[in-house]
Amino acid sequence: MTFELDPGRFLHIGTQAPQCLAAHLDNQVATESPRAISRTSENDPAKHGEQHEGQHYNISFQDLKTVFSHGLPPRFVMQVKTFNEACLMVRRPALELLHYLKNTNFAHPAVRYVFYGEKGTGKTLSLCHSIHFCAKQDWLILHIPDAHLWVKNCRDLLQSTYNKQRFDQPLEASTWLKNFKTANEHFLSQIKVQEKYVWNKRESTEKGSPLGEVVEQGIMRVRNATDAVGIVLKELKRQSSSGIFRLLVAVDGVNALWGRTTLKREDKSPIAPEELAFIYNLRKMVKNDWQGGAIVLTVSQTGSLFKPRKAYLPQELLGKEGFDALDPFIPILVSNYNPKEFESCIHYYLENNWLQHEKAHTEEGKKELLFLSNRNPGQLERLCAYL
Amino acid sequence: MAAARLSASLVLQPRARTLRAFSTSVSPATRSPRPSPSTTERTSRYGRPLRRKALPPRTEKMAVDQDWPSVYPVAAPFKPSAVPLPVRMGYPVKRGVPMAKEGNLELLKIPNFLHLTPVAIKRHCEALKDFCTEWPAALDSDEKCRKHFPIEIDTAGYVSAGPSVRNPKARVVTLRVKLSSLNLDDHAKKKLIKLVGDRYCKSTDVLTIKTDRCPLKRQNYDYAMYLLTVLYHESWKTEEWEKTKTEADMEEYVWKDSSSEKNILETLLQIKAAEKNLELSKEELLGTEEVEEYRKSVVSLKNEGDNENTLSQYKESVKRLLNLT
Repeated sequence: MTFELDPGRFLHIGTQAPQCLAAHLDNQVATESPRAISRTSENDPAKHGEQHEGQHYNISFQDLKTVFSHGLPPRFVMQVKTFNEACLMVRRPALELLHYLKNTNFAHPAVRYVFYGEKGTGKTLSLCHSIHFCAKQDWLILHIPDAHLWVKNCRDLLQSTYNKQRFDQPLEASTWLKNFKTANEHFLSQIKVQEKYVWNKRESTEKGSPLGEVVEQGIMRVRNATDAVGIVLKELKRQSSSGIFRLLVAVDGVNALWGRTTLKREDKSPIAPEELAFIYNLRKMVKNDWQGGAIVLTVSQTGSLFKPRKAYLPQELLGKEGFDALDPFIPILVSNYNPKEFESCIHYYLENNWLQHEKAHTEEGKKELLFLSNRNPGQLERLCAYL
Repeated sequence: MAAARLSASLVLQPRARTLRAFSTSVSPATRSPRPSPSTTERTSRYGRPLRRKALPPRTEKMAVDQDWPSVYPVAAPFKPSAVPLPVRMGYPVKRGVPMAKEGNLELLKIPNFLHLTPVAIKRHCEALKDFCTEWPAALDSDEKCRKHFPIEIDTAGYVSAGPSVRNPKARVVTLRVKLSSLNLDDHAKKKLIKLVGDRYCKSTDVLTIKTDRCPLKRQNYDYAMYLLTVLYHESWKTEEWEKTKTEADMEEYVWKDSSSEKNILETLLQIKAAEKNLELSKEELLGTEEVEEYRKSVVSLKNEGDNENTLSQYKESVKRLLNLT
């Protein structure tokens, strides 16, 4: 590897730099095409089509705060902060899914779509693309950013107040409820609960009160947070069939629901996933016995427990139980970048002056990056971080 | 050898002393460094049998078309002087080559088959022909042999010179049979495979029974035949407890009554209910072409595992079932 950092060359990376450096780039490469190759001005996912494949589109900061308060992968969040803009690449798997979502028949039971692929190919970001689309189309988004977080590293497990055999996870549940609230503010006042729920001797939620109250109750009384989540899921499922709103259930790492957990009871015996109240309710959610929406899932090995590193195929990660529960579903493969997308990604990094090495924009440099990363998006991003 | 060395060193000293006595008359240049007499003398002047110089190896006198079986008529260790091949063996040092055959212990350690060249084997066969009977003319192909003689028995006899002619390894009997030549139905075949376990090879469909628990070969052969008979008859019987066979015991995925079938049925029923199309009954729903294709893709997915092919087949069939474009 002959890449070495030469700090003397490009000194400032701020937002003023692009103007003076754009002229510099223009002299070397064909003038208008870098922007045309890597970016598109079409910021509405609904209008994305085949012609936008490989191009980056901008997500407004407003959407970032509401829809994606907890959904984006951490490295992408860092990139957004550095570049001061959130740009997502339009890719074929996401386009395929958007096509299916646009043609959904809301009278039929919800169809399940599963993104699968090797590590770092862009499953989570494709999921986020489809979430953005649904948010723009005014669906209710039920997004669980990483189901693996719920089956490991939980400090406080309480015995569930609703059902003695199950366990509660108050901290995770209350964080999730807060994020859910920011994502779907306007829906919470419209949807009304259809049953009376009694929390304890003094507090109860009456029939007909808005769902926002249940969410507030969960956030304030952390002990009842998991039960609040369960109620939210139940109500949404019941009411989405009536057609008032459309529901998108998006779960990242859905193979956590049917795997093993690393949590133990006080007597060190392991806990099965169905004994966690949250997982139990979520399993009911991804079943296709409700209408009026869609279910988009990803299976990922990153963060999964007791699965080999090279496993990426759906049956390997879901196991027999998971496959039988999700059957029938549409598997969508997310693969590495094709050459056009790779070029576009490099152009995007060059535009934002992320690649500081002087050989980065030559053909040789690109070939070296291609070889080192094998066109894998995650790997390419990690490599470019050093340059 | 140590004694010879000792005597040589003892002899050396007097010789050196005698040399020094002569040194005044003999000039230093002509004085020989080693006190050895000329090579043609067999007997020594000093009473010690000296080594004769090595003769050229036999390989140099060998003709190219010689009779090799007479050089190595029996199994013999490797003699570098008798084998005319320039063979090398050993791990080379840096920037070197493997060791030559002269004095190479590695070549001595390994077994060699120099006594079993094709020419030698031909001669063995010619000699043995007198003791053999004719091969039956009707059995001229492998398939006919397998058809008429499906069971193959392997036994080994051992001959060695020693205090006893008996060899305990000679009692082992191996029985090999292809299950396709036995009359087994589906249930019997599955039960037989479960009963024998590891002894069945799936790729070649061969059941191998190896017996050595009896002291005589004849007894082991009878025992192997008995085992085969018992397995055959037992696998045809169905016991009471076989009815409790669960999904986990199944060798391959069975679509009927599986959870996949239930799921798809429910989904289709819900679709039909949504379209207010309740005329179709359960059997009709399951009999449609799309469900048939879906069934095939799920079975292949479960039995063969995930790969590009099976997954794309599954995807197409699900899309067609759920009427997605």
